[in-house]
Amino acid sequence: MTAKLRAPGWYRAALFLLLGVAFAYVLVGVVRTLMHEHTPWHDGQAITTVSLIAAPLFFLVGIGCFDYWFAWASGRPTRPEDHSSHGAHSWRDYFRVNTDHKVIGVQYICTSVFFLFVGGLIAMLMRAELAQPGMQFVDSSTFNGLFSVHAALLIFLFVIPVFAGIANYVIPLMIGAPDMAFPRLNALSYWMLPLAGTMMVLSFLAPGGAFATGWTAYAPLSTDMPLGQMFFTVGVQLAGASSIATALNFLVTIITMRAPGMSFFRMPLLVWANFSTSLLVVIATPFIAASQFFVLLDRALGFHFFDTGLGVGKDGYVLMYQHVFWFYSHPAVYIMMLPGFGIISEIISVKSRKPIFGYRMMAFSLLAIVVLGFTVWAHHMFVSGMQGWIRIPMMITTAIIAVPTGIKIFSWLATLWRGVLHLDTPMLFALGFLTTFTLGGISGVMLAMIPFDIHVSDTYFIVAHIHYVLFGGSLFTIFAGIYYWFPKITGRMYDERLGKIHFWCTFVFFNLTFGPMHVLGIEGMPRRVADYAQQYAPLNLAISIVSFLLGLSMLVFLYNMVVSWRGGPHAVANPWRALTLEWQVSSPPPIFNFDAVPTVVGGPYEYGVPGAVHGIFQSPAEARPTAGTIATSPTRE
Amino acid sequence: MEAASASLHAGEAEHHGPPAAHRSSRVDPQMLGMLLFIISEIMVFGAFFTAYFFIRVVQANPWPAAGTELPKLVAGFNTAILLSSSVTLHWALTSVKNGNRWGLRAGMLTTFLLGLTFLFVQINEYVHIGFAPHDSAQASVFYGLTGLHGAHVFIGLVLLLMVTVRAFRGHFSPEAHRGVEIPGIYWHFVDVMWVIVYCSVYLL
Repeated sequence: MTAKLRAPGWYRAALFLLLGVAFAYVLVGVVRTLMHEHTPWHDGQAITTVSLIAAPLFFLVGIGCFDYWFAWASGRPTRPEDHSSHGAHSWRDYFRVNTDHKVIGVQYICTSVFFLFVGGLIAMLMRAELAQPGMQFVDSSTFNGLFSVHAALLIFLFVIPVFAGIANYVIPLMIGAPDMAFPRLNALSYWMLPLAGTMMVLSFLAPGGAFATGWTAYAPLSTDMPLGQMFFTVGVQLAGASSIATALNFLVTIITMRAPGMSFFRMPLLVWANFSTSLLVVIATPFIAASQFFVLLDRALGFHFFDTGLGVGKDGYVLMYQHVFWFYSHPAVYIMMLPGFGIISEIISVKSRKPIFGYRMMAFSLLAIVVLGFTVWAHHMFVSGMQGWIRIPMMITTAIIAVPTGIKIFSWLATLWRGVLHLDTPMLFALGFLTTFTLGGISGVMLAMIPFDIHVSDTYFIVAHIHYVLFGGSLFTIFAGIYYWFPKITGRMYDERLGKIHFWCTFVFFNLTFGPMHVLGIEGMPRRVADYAQQYAPLNLAISIVSFLLGLSMLVFLYNMVVSWRGGPHAVANPWRALTLEWQVSSPPPIFNFDAVPTVVGGPYEYGVPGAVHGIFQSPAEARPTAGTIATSPTRE
Repeated sequence: MEAASASLHAGEAEHHGPPAAHRSSRVDPQMLGMLLFIISEIMVFGAFFTAYFFIRVVQANPWPAAGTELPKLVAGFNTAILLSSSVTLHWALTSVKNGNRWGLRAGMLTTFLLGLTFLFVQINEYVHIGFAPHDSAQASVFYGLTGLHGAHVFIGLVLLLMVTVRAFRGHFSPEAHRGVEIPGIYWHFVDVMWVIVYCSVYLL
């Protein structure tokens, strides 16, 4: 037993979790004693707050994320090329600290899909409550908690990390690297996620209920909330730290570990997309960390960043929260979209057997979105009472940012043009994405217009818009990506028929659920309410019924994934006849990806170009082009 | 003989190491990682400076709050202490590059002690400054910015302590000194950031 408690793993993690709570209890007690507080050992709020910070860190130490670094720091002997924690031989290896990017990718995807279903179930509860006006199942503050946890889980625990998971699996393979640049950091960034998600779900148990401030947690609402708010404040810090660490890892991997011959303009667009996303994460995510630090300091240590009423010349500035928050959270919507753009570029090119149209413009438009993404944040604040003049430049930049996105949409359409379309599940989701995301983009440009935005602020139009871009946009690309790389990841084929059923159910019910919300919004139904006026009742009932069908269609996906993974037909190495490097190794790939680092000799999308090759398994010296044998990056007219 | 040992290890055949990754950039991965991390850190400070900007400039609050005073002179001396630690750190790095083991150890130890002194002076300043974070928004910003920086000094000190321990245990050589260089960059960043914090919070 003591051996189990000493070795890294779940036993030690559980022990350390308890130690973390004990540490928090003692720390709070000692500090409060020193400050001569009344009843220093009985402050549940303070103990919970400190526990929320300390217990996850202790857990991470316990499960073994830091063992190597502790040994290194104390000067004990370490072996940098120790691969004992690399790779999975049984399902148990997925439940421990593992440094293999493929294992971590699967860990990421499974964890975030789990939270997708948790968040989806919460949405079902909300739709049940909203089926009729009046109160049926939950009271209004529980309802506030439901939509807040729904949004927080799906944004911070699903969309952002599932993209990190897919990229984790695919990118080192795509660029011809044996692993990520910092495998141990990679493992650490994964293990922070389940902790953050668990924390957010557990907030329902906090006295006063779950955090009920929406995913935006505006001050001063968040600084006055009951204890449940701390579960969000700290949980977001964990998810944010995880996301920064992964982004840093991606950037270093992409910059320093590409295969010989893979110049920046020979990288697949998924790599470009994650490069851009990672830039956004590294630059923007610290802002949400800071905004939650402000809330934490306000709540825990009595700071006054936002409070007014301290006296003239001493007041805080309440809108500062929104500025700092949206300076992250607007780029965050691109963090939640750009990797999806990458996935779609891969699939559309492969499945229409044509080179991607305008490869360089696709790459440059990603970078343009990165830059412009930082210039539009205050369009979320048109009715906040900020200085009126800021609204005009923000309206203009918001309209401009639709241009690079439009370039991408038209490039995809041009790629499809006269292609040989293979309409299987990944492609269907890609085409579905083009439709729904364009609709979401159009309602986005509508919202950029100040007069219209004022009219529909805080109505169901906003709910419709965000679900068209995040569900119809991001989630469709995620489904497309999961189906597309499923054979590579599991070595099995999914069931095509079930995949198509899943697509058509999702596509139809999605539009029937969220499409009518535009109408509700323009008619003035406010969002974030459990009860509403009688006039909205028929449409809401219809939406609720369809949304349950949408929920059920997710079960088709789950069934397909589980059954195919266990017993689907074995997949060949390259079922899609794709050129990118991850398809040139076996399915699933060998434990260290490549026996020899491949050499890249051409662009990644030369489908339909006779004799075109992207990568070959020879060293650069052997791969020197001899006349006529290899088509080197063909120049197109 | 070779064949025998190969069959002996057949069961662990997949435990061979990966092929060395191709280096597609002249930049050191660890160095690049640290630089990106510093960019991220700069943005955290940027957010706290945003709070400073809104509360001091947009809200037009007097700075510091009426009836309070900031110890410019003591903090100025403290600035000098922190900046000199950057010099001693550079001395340590130059020493290890030249194979001067004594210089490495002395330099690291001095740097660590100077950093520790800075942190103590800062905490002492908090104790005697005469206002608390909850007194005014300006006080919140003051404690927020200097506290954030103090936390970074603490992280930096932990890194320096690791380097010092390893230096005394005989690690690092003229060929392998990345373990000194990269935490060193972080420490220089913490120093530069202090100059900005000091200028904007105390002097301006």
